[in-house]
Amino acid sequence: MKKNIILMLAILLAGSLAAVSAQSKLQTNPGGYHGELDYPMSWKRYYGYEEWTKIMRELQKKYPQLADIQSIGKSRMGRDQLLLTITAKSTGKPETKRAMWVDGAIHGNEVNGITCSLYLAWYLLTRYDYDPFVHEILDRTTFYILPGLNVDANDSYVRFPNTENNPREPYRPADDDGDGLFDEDQTEDVDGDGELSVMYVEDPAGEFKLSPDKRRFVRVDDIREEVRRFRRVGAEGFDNDGDGQINEDDIGGPDPNRNFPYGWSLDAGYPYPMSEAETRNVFEFQLTLPNIFASFHYHNTGRLIMFQAPPAVRPPAGQAPGAPAMGPRAQQTVQQRLEELRKTDKYAYLADRQVAPEYQHDLDVQNEIVSAGARILKDYTPTIGGLSGQAHAATYYMFGAYSYLIELWGSPAFEADIDSDGQVSEEEFMKWVDIELMGEGWVLPHKAKHPDVGEVWIGGTSRKHVGRTPPARYIETEALRNANFVLYAASQFPKIDFGEVKVTPATGDLYWVEVEVKNDKAYPTSSDRAVALKRAVMDRITASAGGGAEIVEVPAASTAVDPWNRAAQSEVVAAKGTEFRLKGHETKRFCVLVKMTGAAGSVEFAVRSKMGGPAAKRITLKAE
Amino acid sequence: MSIRPLKSLKRFKLLTLLAASAAVLAVTAPAPAASKVPISFDDYHGYAATVKYLKDVAAAYPQITALLEIGKSNMGRPIYVLVVSNMKTGTTVDAHVALRNPRAEGVKNVAPMKPDMGKPGHWICGATHGNEYTGTEVCLYTIDKLVSGYGADKETTALVDGKAFYICPIVNPDGVFNSLEKGVSQRQNSAAKDDDGDGKVNEDGPDDLDGDGVIAQFRYKDARGAYVVDDEDPRLMVRIRPNEKTDKPRWSVVAEDKDNDGDKRRGEDPEAGIDLNRNFPEGWWNDQGFAGGSGDYPTSAPEARALAEFFVTHPNIFMAQFYHTMGGFTYRPLGTAPHTRLDARDVAILDFVMGKKYLETIGEDVPEAWKDPARIPALREELRKTSKNKYAIERGYELPYGWKVSYDEVNDRRYGFGMSTDWDFLQLGVWSITTELWNPAKDIPGLPRTSGAGAGAEGPAARLGLERALLKLQDEKYGGKLFARWKPFKHPELGEGELGGWNPRYAANAWPGEPLAGVCDRHYRFEMFRAGLLPDVVVTEAKARLLYTSESASEATAAVAGGEVRIKKGGAKGKYRIIEVTAVVENKGPLATHTARGSALRGNREDVVWLVGARDKVTFLQGTPYQRLGVLDGATRIPSAAAEGGGGMRMATPRTPAEESMMPPPQAQRRGGPPGPTQVRQGGARREVRWLVAVEGDSPLKIVVSSQKGGTKAVDVKVQ
Repeated sequence: MKKNIILMLAILLAGSLAAVSAQSKLQTNPGGYHGELDYPMSWKRYYGYEEWTKIMRELQKKYPQLADIQSIGKSRMGRDQLLLTITAKSTGKPETKRAMWVDGAIHGNEVNGITCSLYLAWYLLTRYDYDPFVHEILDRTTFYILPGLNVDANDSYVRFPNTENNPREPYRPADDDGDGLFDEDQTEDVDGDGELSVMYVEDPAGEFKLSPDKRRFVRVDDIREEVRRFRRVGAEGFDNDGDGQINEDDIGGPDPNRNFPYGWSLDAGYPYPMSEAETRNVFEFQLTLPNIFASFHYHNTGRLIMFQAPPAVRPPAGQAPGAPAMGPRAQQTVQQRLEELRKTDKYAYLADRQVAPEYQHDLDVQNEIVSAGARILKDYTPTIGGLSGQAHAATYYMFGAYSYLIELWGSPAFEADIDSDGQVSEEEFMKWVDIELMGEGWVLPHKAKHPDVGEVWIGGTSRKHVGRTPPARYIETEALRNANFVLYAASQFPKIDFGEVKVTPATGDLYWVEVEVKNDKAYPTSSDRAVALKRAVMDRITASAGGGAEIVEVPAASTAVDPWNRAAQSEVVAAKGTEFRLKGHETKRFCVLVKMTGAAGSVEFAVRSKMGGPAAKRITLKAE
Repeated sequence: MSIRPLKSLKRFKLLTLLAASAAVLAVTAPAPAASKVPISFDDYHGYAATVKYLKDVAAAYPQITALLEIGKSNMGRPIYVLVVSNMKTGTTVDAHVALRNPRAEGVKNVAPMKPDMGKPGHWICGATHGNEYTGTEVCLYTIDKLVSGYGADKETTALVDGKAFYICPIVNPDGVFNSLEKGVSQRQNSAAKDDDGDGKVNEDGPDDLDGDGVIAQFRYKDARGAYVVDDEDPRLMVRIRPNEKTDKPRWSVVAEDKDNDGDKRRGEDPEAGIDLNRNFPEGWWNDQGFAGGSGDYPTSAPEARALAEFFVTHPNIFMAQFYHTMGGFTYRPLGTAPHTRLDARDVAILDFVMGKKYLETIGEDVPEAWKDPARIPALREELRKTSKNKYAIERGYELPYGWKVSYDEVNDRRYGFGMSTDWDFLQLGVWSITTELWNPAKDIPGLPRTSGAGAGAEGPAARLGLERALLKLQDEKYGGKLFARWKPFKHPELGEGELGGWNPRYAANAWPGEPLAGVCDRHYRFEMFRAGLLPDVVVTEAKARLLYTSESASEATAAVAGGEVRIKKGGAKGKYRIIEVTAVVENKGPLATHTARGSALRGNREDVVWLVGARDKVTFLQGTPYQRLGVLDGATRIPSAAAEGGGGMRMATPRTPAEESMMPPPQAQRRGGPPGPTQVRQGGARREVRWLVAVEGDSPLKIVVSSQKGGTKAVDVKVQ
């Protein structure tokens, strides 16, 4: 007697349906309204601490169904480090979903990170109701966004006259010049014009003269030239402690991005790991978040995607230390593969690193993600990030989360280098200021009185937001592209789906029921590093049967009773469930042996995956 | 840390001893009559009494003490440091150099320095491990001696005037509180952590089953047990080897405890958190890049962080002692790495100077090599034939029982990860050591002789012999309070058996009374010896000579052009006095102002000397306002063997500790601008310094010398 088995499938939805009102606004037309004016704000300026935290609080108030706000701790000077937690609360609490961590401006002066992370929060919140892409991401993913990490220095940089390099560190007092005094000789705005430029004094033996257009100080090339000469004193400031030096002990202590525990060393980051309140608050908070799956950390400058890669395999025995871990042949292979890839994708990237087999997938994943990042960000270069106590080293190496340090902006090099020689000459730079900045951003040399030096000339430099942080007109472009990259990465977080279902008669009333479990996304359900750290929570599939069907337990070595060799290709789901991990773009097959005891029955497969989400599939079996 | 003798005792958990049973030995504590806050060592103080004592001392001696709260434990108990130093002596650079024209922003992140920070600092702490509170008692004893000896004893007075003692009797308040006040022996700090992952926090710790106030042991007959009853004293349980055959009944011995949460496990989720002495930044990671030490990251424990922060904000600390129990020896660095990470000059000071004194203090023979380093080449040859320890062969001597390293030199294996002493020595350049107090075989006067007992002897037989002797002693002199007689008890899970055995309160700590007081006194004396080694940087021979007077400072400035000063004699008269200031800066202390290691560390700086005058009235013509002096040597000649052979351990001719490596920090090396401060390059313990200044009127001048670890001194300059 021949039996036909008809399959009826019903996929059980994970989570509940999104609110109907929200769905009614969802846009599919790229020319349509996406919510920007629901909370209008300017992305063409920088915000100080009071302003950016006010924006965060207002955003949270406007979107309470999506956002929570909290302080994760206080800075040395007592400012709260405010963090937004963003997810669609209707589909689950933030801690139940895998998460993306985003922080900005760990270096006080790199305030572009504040605008970029704030922009991301605003983009997510304003667009959730309108943008299906954002909508789906927030239904499944949580974002922890800390716009300003180094709040004391961040606020100072935005609101007070500063060079583009300072203040950079948290305000732990330090004796930079070894004279026994701490932070005693900082920069000052000598002429009170709101900018910190460079000071020169007239000196017949000086090496500088004014440029013909009187906008810059340039070197005197011909020693015989008779011209008014200047000696460079240094950045604007006074000799506060009377030691004859100016600005030699500026505010702040250790580099906060050399203060995290992984790869930390005393030379990289005096005085000890997690010594600063600002960094310790972050790390302690992250320790309470086992759901962090990936992280972005914004810096300035250089247009780099610095991603964490698995450890390189050590050089073969006998090879000199410092020699490339990768043999010449392997390197050639990477180069050849890359050339091949670039025939169809000019943004393709392959890391030049040989890793142990158990880490290969992490490297493959990072290659794929940062290649897309290079495409989204334009002119950004992917490169492997360092360790040495950096925040993103800790996120990958200690938590097993994929991490990215983005060096935003890139001085005006890319815009200004009009002869494409890879360098920006002073002339090219001035042209760029004149044409593209429309004259904004330059301090003209001028005289001023100085209490320590006498008469000084100040000027001949760009203003604050020109080199390291972008001029206002470029902020939004930078922010939009970077938000896109973060969202792209979030869209590639693992997602467990069921694929093809097969039912194969075995013998008698017995049938093999087989399902495909797949992850079409780039990221695996847990990283290789998380596995190595024993932090990974394995995915788990269970099977149950109902009605006129029951599952027959199959011993592990089942191929002998399986004439079609089903179990050899797919794994038999154990009675207690079977653990597995899905890599990116991977499909695994699982099966059960079912005995039909009645006319109809059903088999249900359920997968629990911490990072890939739950999924279930019911298969109805009916004998005809 | 752990010990080998008495290991069996240490396993036992602990309990509170009622006050009545505390006064066990009628021994007078060596309390000097002068003390305003009497103290006795007839029992351990515990957390509350220690805090009370510190507060009382701080109140009674405000001129020479200050009580600081440096942090809080996980359970919110304050961690205290008592500063013992004359608060009237001592000065710091910031008290002399006036700042002007500060940034308009006005950030106030720098607090004024305290006077004690201008003196060489000596850190002494106890009870990093909560159940090792003998160190607490040594700290209290030391405080007592310092405050009561001040003004009465000449040496003590000089130390309290010239140095700063930072004494932290209890690093781990929760561990001590639980061990002594609560009676639950706890090495670690406390943590509200779900150890067994059942969703409940700290729900299954040790239990006092019979309610006698002691968490002792439970023994029960067990055919697979690892213990038998001792032949000589049936109260003692003797561990037998796994395959050993015996006709005697076998017993199992477990801690007094039951299963509180019904998960069939006992004591699996106690309040105990992490080992604080594995939570420091040095060597915390293992070689594979995974956590080796305790906690989520180095200094994750609030107690460890409090210490780290205190050391970093008190860079004047140069000597450090971290007391532990037990064993009666000192671990000098290193435990995380072999001595090849140390500079030979530092090793020489550690062994030949400090180690020698320590052995003399505890009455152990000093190795031949330390008495006569010239013999080292010959001794090295002998060791080549006899020793399996390659590091000992390099050095020319084995480290003795009383002064050793925790690094396993024979097997070339690290002892642990993230230990405080290694961190302090390697990352801060502090002379840090860990003394494991209490060796009962040596520290109890008149310990009864029984079969098998021997001082420092190893092996099961020796341990058993010692245990028998101790049991006899506690019978005779402690009224049997230290060992509870076995009494029948029905255990809820294990059935019939007996409760009793050693009281864990005394299992790994110096016994109260005479033994404890003796341990305190010996170690107090040793630390005072070390305090006497601290550098002492002073200004001698400050002179100011009027050369001539001038109409303007700028005229004099012009005379300096070209790097040479032409001194015009006679010449114009004016209100500017051209003055030559000379001085000799000298380190009068035995040790150099940095360890060889410390002179190369970030965070440490060179000794400097300032000439300070009114900003508008003093112009510097030659010599910058402050001058860098490098590292000043000490008076002690570094003992060494001449530079013969010896692999990684080269006992090279002593030289100034790494003066050449003491470069200005990178931030200070900037291009452009005025040249940096004058660098004085002279060797030895003395520096001759010189300035030429134009002074308007009779505006005063003073010289301020500041050594990070050798003290700060200010001297007014009189113009001749």
